[in-house]
Amino acid sequence: MVGFLIRRIGQAIIVLVMVTVATLGLVHLFPGGPVRALLGDRATPFLINYYNHLYGFNQPFYLQYLKWVGQLLQGNLGFSDKLNVSVATLIGQDLPKTIVLVVLGLIVSLIFGIPLGVYQAVHRNSPADYVLTGISFLGYSTPVFFLGIVLIDWFAVDSHVFPATAPQSSSVASILADPRALVLPVVTYAFLLYALWSRYMRSSVLDNLVQDYVRTARAKGASERRVVWGHVFRNSLVSIVTLLGLSLPSMVTGAILIEVVFNYAGMGLAFYQAALNNDFNVLLSFTVLVTVVTILGNLLADIGYAVLDPRVRF
Amino acid sequence: MSEAQAIAATEAELGLTPSDKPRGMFIRAWEVFAENKLGLAGLAFVIFILLFCFVGPHLYVTNQVNTDLTNYLCHPSGQHLLGCDDLGYDEIGRLMVGGQTSLEVGLAAAVVSVVFGTLYGAISGFAGGITDAIMMRVVDAGLSLPYLMVLIILSVIFHPTVTTIIFIIAIFYWFGVARLVRGETIALRNREYVQAVKVIGGRPLRAVIRHIVPNAIGTIIVQGTFAVADAILTLSVLGFLTLGVAPPATDWGSMLSSGLNYIQGGNYWWLIYPPGICIILTCISFNFIGDALRDAFETRLQRR
Amino acid sequence: MALLEISDLRTEIQLKEGVVHAVDGVTLHVDEGETLGVVGESGCGKTMTALTIMQLLPNGGRIAGGSIKLAGREITTLKPDEMRKVRGDDIAMIFQDPLSSLNPTHTVGAQISEAVLLHRDVTKKEAYDRAVEVLDLVGMPRAKERVEEYPHQFSGGMRQRVMIAMALACEPKLLIADEPTTALDVTIQKQILELIDDLRRRLGMAVIMVTHDLGVIAGRADRVAVMYAGKVVETTDTSALYENPRHPYTEALFHALPEKSAETRERLYSIPGAPPDLVNPPQGCRFAPRCRYATDKCRTEAPELNGETSAHTYRCFFPVGAKEKTVQGQLTVIEPIAAPEPDALVDQHVGDVVLEARDLVKDFPVTSGLMRRKIGTVSAVAGVSFDIRKGETLGLVGESGCGKTTIGRMLVGLDKPTSGSVLFGGKDLARSSGREYRHERRDIQYMFQDSYASLDPRMRAGTILREPLVVQGMGSRREQHAKITEMLGKVGLPASWTERYPHEFSGGQRQRLGFARALLLDPQVIVADEPVSALDVSVQAQVLNMMRDLQRELGLTYLFISHDLSVVRYLSNHIGVMYLGKLVEIGTADEVYLRPAHPYTKGLIESAPTADPELERAKVHEGIVGELPSAIHPPTGCRFRTRCPIAQEICSTVEPELKPYGVGNHFAACHFALQPPAEVAASSATEQVS
Repeated sequence: MVGFLIRRIGQAIIVLVMVTVATLGLVHLFPGGPVRALLGDRATPFLINYYNHLYGFNQPFYLQYLKWVGQLLQGNLGFSDKLNVSVATLIGQDLPKTIVLVVLGLIVSLIFGIPLGVYQAVHRNSPADYVLTGISFLGYSTPVFFLGIVLIDWFAVDSHVFPATAPQSSSVASILADPRALVLPVVTYAFLLYALWSRYMRSSVLDNLVQDYVRTARAKGASERRVVWGHVFRNSLVSIVTLLGLSLPSMVTGAILIEVVFNYAGMGLAFYQAALNNDFNVLLSFTVLVTVVTILGNLLADIGYAVLDPRVRF
Repeated sequence: MSEAQAIAATEAELGLTPSDKPRGMFIRAWEVFAENKLGLAGLAFVIFILLFCFVGPHLYVTNQVNTDLTNYLCHPSGQHLLGCDDLGYDEIGRLMVGGQTSLEVGLAAAVVSVVFGTLYGAISGFAGGITDAIMMRVVDAGLSLPYLMVLIILSVIFHPTVTTIIFIIAIFYWFGVARLVRGETIALRNREYVQAVKVIGGRPLRAVIRHIVPNAIGTIIVQGTFAVADAILTLSVLGFLTLGVAPPATDWGSMLSSGLNYIQGGNYWWLIYPPGICIILTCISFNFIGDALRDAFETRLQRR
Repeated sequence: MALLEISDLRTEIQLKEGVVHAVDGVTLHVDEGETLGVVGESGCGKTMTALTIMQLLPNGGRIAGGSIKLAGREITTLKPDEMRKVRGDDIAMIFQDPLSSLNPTHTVGAQISEAVLLHRDVTKKEAYDRAVEVLDLVGMPRAKERVEEYPHQFSGGMRQRVMIAMALACEPKLLIADEPTTALDVTIQKQILELIDDLRRRLGMAVIMVTHDLGVIAGRADRVAVMYAGKVVETTDTSALYENPRHPYTEALFHALPEKSAETRERLYSIPGAPPDLVNPPQGCRFAPRCRYATDKCRTEAPELNGETSAHTYRCFFPVGAKEKTVQGQLTVIEPIAAPEPDALVDQHVGDVVLEARDLVKDFPVTSGLMRRKIGTVSAVAGVSFDIRKGETLGLVGESGCGKTTIGRMLVGLDKPTSGSVLFGGKDLARSSGREYRHERRDIQYMFQDSYASLDPRMRAGTILREPLVVQGMGSRREQHAKITEMLGKVGLPASWTERYPHEFSGGQRQRLGFARALLLDPQVIVADEPVSALDVSVQAQVLNMMRDLQRELGLTYLFISHDLSVVRYLSNHIGVMYLGKLVEIGTADEVYLRPAHPYTKGLIESAPTADPELERAKVHEGIVGELPSAIHPPTGCRFRTRCPIAQEICSTVEPELKPYGVGNHFAACHFALQPPAEVAASSATEQVS
């Protein structure tokens, strides 16, 4: 088990290095360099040189990289010139809101996705199965923002049941105190994730149901219920854990889009605005942060896998 | 007579030889595919939408180049079946133009990413060892990046045209394909019929080309169809964020983006639902096709 | 009253292509405390019958008719809840593959106590204690500790013990064992069969033993039912079956067994054709199309299960066998068509040494960690030498992990030896690579075990056969085509089948196709790795006969690798016995089999079940105890000493060398060999082992 952990952490570190190198490299892809993006129309050769020197962009790549990584590790994530705050502050105020959205969405999608996936597998090819499969397919194929727009149209504009925008307040506490405004964003977000979990769970349970150990359990006299929930469920869950890790990028995408559609001031909206403003420090640091979280997430998923499957442990 | 002759004679006499015609791999796959109603429906829709977008403009001619503000947001009527948008363009015509972009980009990005990902994954899987380990770390890195964020950054940097968008999207999709193909290659490499090539004196290249690739092609094709659906979705996301193609070209996502502006002011449903539904139906069709293909290539192998 | 009575049972399975009548009128009974053997080849319905009793039918399966009575109570009509009470409590079942049949994420203790908790009103602790108790009962060493472990931490034999423990936890009246030892090594197989027998006596249980192995039945069953194509074709007590089979199918099965012909080296009787399609079963007797005595009546009317006495019944209008031919009036005895002539093994001209293995060693590294550091080695082959003469067959026999497959692979270059050499015509094959290696393929070819996996499912048979010729650049297209046709004829496949795909062939036909592919390059030596292990007895006979014929016709030399001693004995001139990477004995087939010098060989012979009830019951030797040691840390000195009944201290310090014993070139590596040492001339003592 220890060997397994060490191996995985080592891999994670290598991946992290590659990613950060790539991210920094991205900045230099901008024609004329990142400073040009910063200055926009005000860019004169003199100013470009000045800022290059100031930010260290005229040094060799590896030096820039090391300096940047050093800064990151110290917690210095850069400064947003356009917004006049440090990126760290920005993250501090926006991240909690995004977390609220993501966590709520995840919980709702899991609550529906996992049991329904199991149900579909057990009642395979029944009418309910077909209907639920259809809903899952819709989940994969509907652009998240379109769903958001449609829901806003139906529930906010037409019927005024829910507000058209998400909570606008800046503290988490007051956000949670306004649940009506959270409903549409969370539901939209959860719908996309629900499709993933239920499809995967269905497939995993189906695979497990035809395994020999299920026949043995039945031969012992176990009821179908016990077979499904006592034996198959746990073994099927294992693959969901891995999937959770791999889905982190999708979850980030969804979060960005939801925040844009519902005007919810989390990290996603901030990122989008930074993109429109060419605010590279923000863009870079956010990307790195999310990547680190994804890599950690995958690592945790692997550990979770080892916990659930003793064959990996011993 | 020898044993072999005796066996053959008896079996022939007893009529113990299967009589149905042998059928090739793709024909059998098609047979299974055709049994899947959803797959057929998906295929039918895809053919329809291709015709709609590419042949349609010749049959239903509208002016998609010059704006006509007298038609600003006109309601559906006899002249404009789905109304007009905020620049006076006919909505159905717009759908066709947008569709052309969406489908082109979707198909092209899928092809590029699948081809590249397959080569990468096959080489990595077949080489094994340190080469494989390093190549896969690159793939892991790619899969950890939040692709939308990077896409956005790239779109900001490059102010993309249709061609650059194809590559930008493809750059992110190939990681997943590579990992999948590598897995297949490793599984196939250990099959006995691949080892048998060595025993009869064949070179490794022969094993890859004649034995591994044909057996992996099913997975690759399935992955390709899903790639198209994903690419169309991704393009629509970019379009929605106004980071996609520039006017007068448009795609379904950009149409939705401009439509969103008018949602509060009144009921301009024709700006929103048609493009959205086009995206959904096209994606779902490709997903159905992919699902049906997956079954088609698998059950065929299990038929004994 | 019998414990279990089955009358005219019919089971159907609904498939897309139609309805399969898997069990089509089965009648049998089991008395308390007895073992009933249900024997038959694949597809005969024996497993389906067992599953029907337990009502564990697959999707689309249902009982279509008939009755099953357990102690007088009809169980086919029970509601699901009631049937669940029967399963695991009154009737228990164990399956073939213990690894896949156990839940990998539950501890062994949890799984056994689950069986108890489902049927008894006890606390968790009490159930757990019972689990330990029953694990001890099945002979699991250190039961109290091991009960906390997971299935993958046990060896195959131990896992099967766990399954048995699980089945017996509630002391059922009837145990159904479906091929319980087929996946196990011979020596472990004997342990498990002994265990089942022992437990049966102790608990007063009845056992239904479902198997394809006539040897297993001979030793363990009180009564036997033979099944074919969904029906019972003969049933009687064991000795009567083996002494006097009445049904032609049973008789044919016996004639197809290699062990019956091993001494005389007669040609095996191979039943032509294949079992009938159970979606549209034939009208008359189901065996008629393949029966050598069939008449028109057999083809149109279906016989019933009859017999002169109720103890021995058979389903045939014209039964074979002599004794019980009591008057039934209309029974006419037809003269059977003359059985094929015995075809004694003519001592073919055995030539010079054509292939020689010298001190072959193969170690496989065991890696772990990020950088794949080597943390140990598996010693798969540890210094093996032998030679084979032109035209003869060397059989290499041993259980799993003995290294025989690795040797075969090294001979054809699929693995490179860690050290040692393979000499062919004086040249070391193991050292060659590249073009030289590819050219050498013309001399020595390989036949894989799993024919389905060794033929590319996407290629047609003709393409598969043409590939070796194309790769070696032999002949023009027309010449290649002619050669392929010729080869197909030699293996008994129609020339028109070049258009077919591998999955359209039956198991035996695929194996013949694989053989044809090996022959196409006109090799001198063929290494065959378990070529008949996956085949039914009747099909096995076809392939063995074919291999023999072609060996004679083409002057081939074989290295025949197998775990099945009877098959190896039938086909080989010489036999080599391997254990844990070492060659422990080698000599002529008769010498090794009849006068084994090494205790392992003796144990192997005694453990292998033979189709002779008298012989089986006379076996008092308890077989080989214990489990296979780890190949990463093999025992010091003699590797077999941990399981050897006669091991002494010297066995752990000094590794025995191959020394001559008995008659002829018979060698064994043992300090306390079971045969007297041979008088070997000084000159031959300096030779390498041969």
